[in-house]
Amino acid sequence: MIGVSLFLVFILMMLAGVPIGAAMGLSAALAIAMANLDTQWFGLLAVPHNFYAGLGKYPLLAIPMFVLVGTIFNRSGVAQRLVNFAVAIVGQGPGMLPLVAIAVALLLGGISGSGPATAAAVGGVMILAMTRAGYPPAFSASVVGAAAAIDILIPPSIAFIVYSVLVPGASVPAMFAAGMFPGILVGLALMIPSVWLARKHRMGLSEGSLPRPPFWPSLGQASWGLAAPVLILGGMRLGWFTPTEAAVVAVFYGLFVGMVIHRTIGVRDLFDILRESGELSAIILLVVALAGIFAYSLSTLGIIDPVTQAIVHSGLGEYGVLFLLILLLIGVGMFLDGVSIFLIFIPILLPIATFYQWDLVWFGVLLTLMVAVGQFTPPIAVNLMVSSRIAGVSMEQTVPWVLWLVAAVLIVLLLVIIFPGLALWLPRTLGY
Amino acid sequence: MPSQSASEPVPEPRNPTTEPTPPADCQPSTAVPLKIEDWLTVVVMALLASITFANVLTRYFTSRSFAWTEEISIFLMIVLALVAGSAAVARNHHIRIEYFADKGSAGRRRILARFSSLMVSLLFLLIAILSSRMVWDDIRYGETSPGIGVPQWWYSIWLPLLSTAIALRALGLFIRQGRNR
Repeated sequence: MIGVSLFLVFILMMLAGVPIGAAMGLSAALAIAMANLDTQWFGLLAVPHNFYAGLGKYPLLAIPMFVLVGTIFNRSGVAQRLVNFAVAIVGQGPGMLPLVAIAVALLLGGISGSGPATAAAVGGVMILAMTRAGYPPAFSASVVGAAAAIDILIPPSIAFIVYSVLVPGASVPAMFAAGMFPGILVGLALMIPSVWLARKHRMGLSEGSLPRPPFWPSLGQASWGLAAPVLILGGMRLGWFTPTEAAVVAVFYGLFVGMVIHRTIGVRDLFDILRESGELSAIILLVVALAGIFAYSLSTLGIIDPVTQAIVHSGLGEYGVLFLLILLLIGVGMFLDGVSIFLIFIPILLPIATFYQWDLVWFGVLLTLMVAVGQFTPPIAVNLMVSSRIAGVSMEQTVPWVLWLVAAVLIVLLLVIIFPGLALWLPRTLGY
Repeated sequence: MPSQSASEPVPEPRNPTTEPTPPADCQPSTAVPLKIEDWLTVVVMALLASITFANVLTRYFTSRSFAWTEEISIFLMIVLALVAGSAAVARNHHIRIEYFADKGSAGRRRILARFSSLMVSLLFLLIAILSSRMVWDDIRYGETSPGIGVPQWWYSIWLPLLSTAIALRALGLFIRQGRNR
């Protein structure tokens, strides 16, 4: 009864447009009070305690630092130089620019921890260039929207950091390593239909007439950006840094590149960079803190166990449940970002995963893949909405293109389900 | 995403998962200047980055780390969440599902927007009241922090204070949303 009202209040508030964190905090407080009517202060003192405890975790410090890295690299002009270098490698011809857009999104995903930063950086550079080369804006919007969605898979990913804070036994380095191959696979899976569609519909015919940047100079220009993921991931692998330290080293490296090498960031820009990334981090951190109250009420009110029992005894079987999870997470992925989804669903899904003895690192990669699909599935996906807006098209116009890309990522999802080694080989080999 | 941007002619590159942050110059006209939160945010972010970086450097050059900075960093992160979160409330940037709330007549949209501001205000008022009790317990029982050993209430006192600030920012948003007819 209390459990039902908890979810009902939460869902209604969320649909009414109340911020996710507030909806979680209020519905949880209400449920806690209803369950403790005869205790002092209705047991509500648990609210500030869990708020404080939910936030006071050292690993979470990686979030503001990686958001800051993303904001800095976004402004450092690295995206444009990576694009030039990628064009210098593959040359220009029909279907090459979408390839470049996806490759650069993959690389930038390896620098910034947040998809949004990458979406803005890649979309800003690529959509205009693709339109000029004769690609339909709706197609460009589909490619960029989909490519930006891979970001939550490519380390360092904030969604992975939150997952590993929520799930004991899935460390941040293990999650980062596990996301690597599936992320690259998704990148490849997006490239194939993009290039095929471009060739088939004879898009980008004027692309070949554009000048091809010289190889060596563009490599030199791009090398500062290319070194960043090596520094972050390599430094963590060699045990130089913890994830938080890797982020902060990347912050100062990014500032050096932006202020000294490319000279795209001035001292005056620092205020905006710090303010913007501070606010973005706070938005994420507050949801994390308020989700702590939500998770507390779920666990103390004994709501999770009956739900788990009902699901595992529903006769669907392991793969039936997994299939339903795919539908569920792609569905919510259209409405919400990965971090919020994890905070809401992990407390409920974790016992199910434990019951079926799924590997929790593999499970985290699967959940992230499902959310990533949701982030660019029409008609309401946030990512696609953004790239459509940059390209100046309506989301309906992207449907004939983007559905191919959705299908491609779903195939990767299936592959990772069938061959868990795709995710688990790297973390096991590295000994995480 | 902020509802006022629906009428913006120029499509800015926007952040899909977390909320977009428009340039600092398009400020909502608040009674109390948002510069307060913005400056605090900038200072705290800079401190967080510097402390962590200093930690990395000291560890490499002296092979010692000052573990006590961990406590300060966590505290600064909590302050960051509340202070910058307060600015995000005033700018209406918090993550929410806009799909249903930004549809329908202007009247319906306004009612839903004001309802959600009121709910945010209510929640943080509740946290402010309840956490005052938590702070009082910290003072009464003389709790000290696990890392440095300073009185715990030096840290916890900021939770009720900053939560009140967020509640007031949400109330301010509620009032402004009523005015824009």
